[in-house]
Amino acid sequence: MDTQFAGEHLLPGQLGQFFIVLSFGTALLATLSYYFATVKDTLDDSWKRIARLSSGLNTISVIGIGSCLFYIIYNHYFEYHYAYSHSSRSLPVYYIISSFWEGQEGSFWLWMFWQSALANILMWKAKSWENSVMTTVMLSQTFLASMLLGVEILGTRIGSSPFILLREAVEGPIFSRPDYLTLIGDGNGLNPLLQNYWMVIHPPTLFLGFASMIVPFAYAIGGLWEKRFKEWPTAALPWALFAVMILGAGIIMGSFWAYEALNFGGFWAWDPVENASIIPWLMLIAAVHVILAYKSTGHSYFTATFLTLISFILVLYASFLTRSGILGETSVHSFTDLGMFGHLLLYIAAFAILAIALMWTRWKQMPITEKDEETYSREFWLFIGALVLGLSCVQVLATTSIPVFNAAFGTKIAPPADEIQHYNKWQVPFAVVVAIISGFTQFLKYKHTDPAKFWRKIRIALLIALIAAAGFVYIAKVYTNLMYIVLTFAGIFSVVSNLDVLYDALKGKWKLAGSSVAHIGFALLLIGALVSAATSEVVSVNTSGTIAVEGFDKVEKPKDNLMLYEGEPMEMDNYTITYLGDSIDGPNVYYRVNYKNIDKKTGKVVEEFDLYPNAQQNPKMGLVASPDTRHYLTYDIYTHATAAPQIKEDKHEPHEGHSEDEEYDTPLTKEVSPGDTINYSKGFIVVKSVNRDASIEKIPLAPNDIAVGMELDVVTGGKTFTVQPLYLIKNGNKFDFAKTIEEAGLKLRFSNIYPDRDKLELMVYQKPAAPKKWIVLKAIKFPYINLLWGGTIIMVIGFLLSIFRRQKESRPTR
Amino acid sequence: MKRSSIIGIIIIAIAIGTIISTYADSSTYGTFTDAQESSSELHVVGQLDKNQELIYNPEKDANYFAFYMKDNNGKACKVVFNGTKPQDFERSEQIVLTGKMVDGEFHASKILMKCPSKYNKDQIEVQEVSTAS
Repeated sequence: MDTQFAGEHLLPGQLGQFFIVLSFGTALLATLSYYFATVKDTLDDSWKRIARLSSGLNTISVIGIGSCLFYIIYNHYFEYHYAYSHSSRSLPVYYIISSFWEGQEGSFWLWMFWQSALANILMWKAKSWENSVMTTVMLSQTFLASMLLGVEILGTRIGSSPFILLREAVEGPIFSRPDYLTLIGDGNGLNPLLQNYWMVIHPPTLFLGFASMIVPFAYAIGGLWEKRFKEWPTAALPWALFAVMILGAGIIMGSFWAYEALNFGGFWAWDPVENASIIPWLMLIAAVHVILAYKSTGHSYFTATFLTLISFILVLYASFLTRSGILGETSVHSFTDLGMFGHLLLYIAAFAILAIALMWTRWKQMPITEKDEETYSREFWLFIGALVLGLSCVQVLATTSIPVFNAAFGTKIAPPADEIQHYNKWQVPFAVVVAIISGFTQFLKYKHTDPAKFWRKIRIALLIALIAAAGFVYIAKVYTNLMYIVLTFAGIFSVVSNLDVLYDALKGKWKLAGSSVAHIGFALLLIGALVSAATSEVVSVNTSGTIAVEGFDKVEKPKDNLMLYEGEPMEMDNYTITYLGDSIDGPNVYYRVNYKNIDKKTGKVVEEFDLYPNAQQNPKMGLVASPDTRHYLTYDIYTHATAAPQIKEDKHEPHEGHSEDEEYDTPLTKEVSPGDTINYSKGFIVVKSVNRDASIEKIPLAPNDIAVGMELDVVTGGKTFTVQPLYLIKNGNKFDFAKTIEEAGLKLRFSNIYPDRDKLELMVYQKPAAPKKWIVLKAIKFPYINLLWGGTIIMVIGFLLSIFRRQKESRPTR
Repeated sequence: MKRSSIIGIIIIAIAIGTIISTYADSSTYGTFTDAQESSSELHVVGQLDKNQELIYNPEKDANYFAFYMKDNNGKACKVVFNGTKPQDFERSEQIVLTGKMVDGEFHASKILMKCPSKYNKDQIEVQEVSTAS
């Protein structure tokens, strides 16, 4: 380091880097000592003490990393690459929090943070499981810490540190100047789409979900390792439920954010990044159900173990998909490669090998039953349901993995042209089967159920569901597609069956409430997602003002976007909408669109509201639009500006050297006499008379001077303006004094007199018409979308109830 | 045969079915020349031809956007999209189109664009401050 750079704050970065190395070291030490604490069967618990100490230190260093990074971003130390790339001075504090995890390093930190929080709970609560479970958790923590290391070992950089300096990360001539920091005024800022309050809480929730999936995995590993085959499912169940609940909530929060802030016009697009989060979720949901089956009957041990293990491997796979840059051409959301491709693969491989090796060595000892389950038993259908969930996961996995397949085999397969249709084709039937199984299984008991009793109960439920579904299908208009009708029925059947259980639960068997509430929520979620996606309708259909493009209109769907000029009302669906102008708030431009629902018969306004779809005109990232949505109980009106004129910088200040006439169009020159009427583009001008005794302020007239005024009436836009431009001959020189009418954008000059022809010369200067303001708007109606959000909340409540119950059950096992 | 084996076979059959369907539904990456010869939709990767004009006049038709793109072989073709101009389109570095050729124009049903993102392109914007030196 020859150059001394001025103004850099190196301490927080060095401290942060120290914490990274410390967190890596302590995690590794904790892994090893927990390993020895598990293997060494001694009464001496020194290994465990070392392990606990280093885990504690690990927690402190993880918090240290976070604090240093936050300090850097908060204080706008743009000498750090991370702060420069993800933050800017204008960012409010709560978005500084989102910029914290916008980058890969920050989101790895978030994962580490949750993992260490979970580790602390495990140290406190796991009791006899602590050693083996923590070995796995801390191994994962070691891998995460290594992702942040950013140190060079044998010529390869391991991980990517958030504390790297801008001048180290980027090449540039300015970095040869010691005072380069004075040249960097501001950071790149946060992507405007992420400047949304959901982006403050969605990532932490999602990462808590991902992080907590290690716990059931670690219990399964521990169970196999310590040969506590029959115990681990009970201990892991509350954790699995917790992970499923949090991850599910996180995923739906993401789709709520997409719906509220993004402009693709929906809540789910089967984007690879979305898929990556739902893949492990589906697998763990399946695992939860077979764990239950095993716990109650001893069946499906292998399936329970396998699904629990694979679901965490899929978390790692999902993070590989989104972080390695492999999705490049198929997703707009994924990160690009930070040189961690191999590193991420190693992470997957380590855990996959661990899982496979343990299953292999313990295969003979696993309590796998040879006997088949009875058909009329709950465990059998839990098992089948789990398999269907697994299949649904495999389908999403297969299509999402096309880029991985391409990379591995050198092929060039493109994802399906119509992805949504491709996924729905499979996922709708899977959802039907899952919903129906989640319904009738409620009437089955574990081990054996009397078929006659079962059919008696189910007949009533089926009947109620059929009637309710028929009514709902009619009201919600989903009768266009057979599969939609079937799914609606399946969802309602599940709700009805689970309501029956809930009814029993309320009579005293409250323990059972959790699963039925969660199932009701899930079924409502399915119905809501189906109905709002299937019957969502673009209401801003353009029926006029289009120019037919040859061969184009015929094949394409009706035009979705509507052109709105300021102040010109348009009819749309039940509404009369008017673009009323815009307002600017910070970087955002809010377009005020007024909606009026006018009763056709009476002409009265039944309802009126304004929506403010906005667009951020971001100098670094261009125009980014966000929708505004009107929520009703049974539907939403979603409005979004798809195009708008770019707001230009303020016009040049008037300054010397410009003649005033530049503002006007080429004038109209007319020779007139009193009594004439002159038409111009926006109205007409009447020449009334000539005033021969005009006087001009501050200019005394000599006897030979002549001052003449032309009395004019200007009629435009229903108004009349009276003005008198003047003509002056003073000392033999001609002058004229023009009159302007600002309101009409006119300037009138009495520019000459032709005594020979008895004519006066009038020059009409007109300002060019200001361009009319406009926006292009797209509006979509989403019916019953509240069922989706409401269903999610109910599902989360159901999971909470189940967690309490299963947690109580897991307690007696020491 | 045990029932569990039957279930196993069915499950595996469906799983294989989903995988086959993935590849049956999958599209292909191609060039404009390939698109000319094919009647089905395909993906074309390329760059915006910045020498040619973008056509979007919402005053005339808010749902007509046209531009020229060069595919990876350097062949330029007019692309028509039935919608508004995607925001920030001019800045795109790479475009992935899904669509098909109709009468010598490529009709895109989907446009995916990669913009110079902060993740991969660090252009330091220098705010010049004049110093007395």
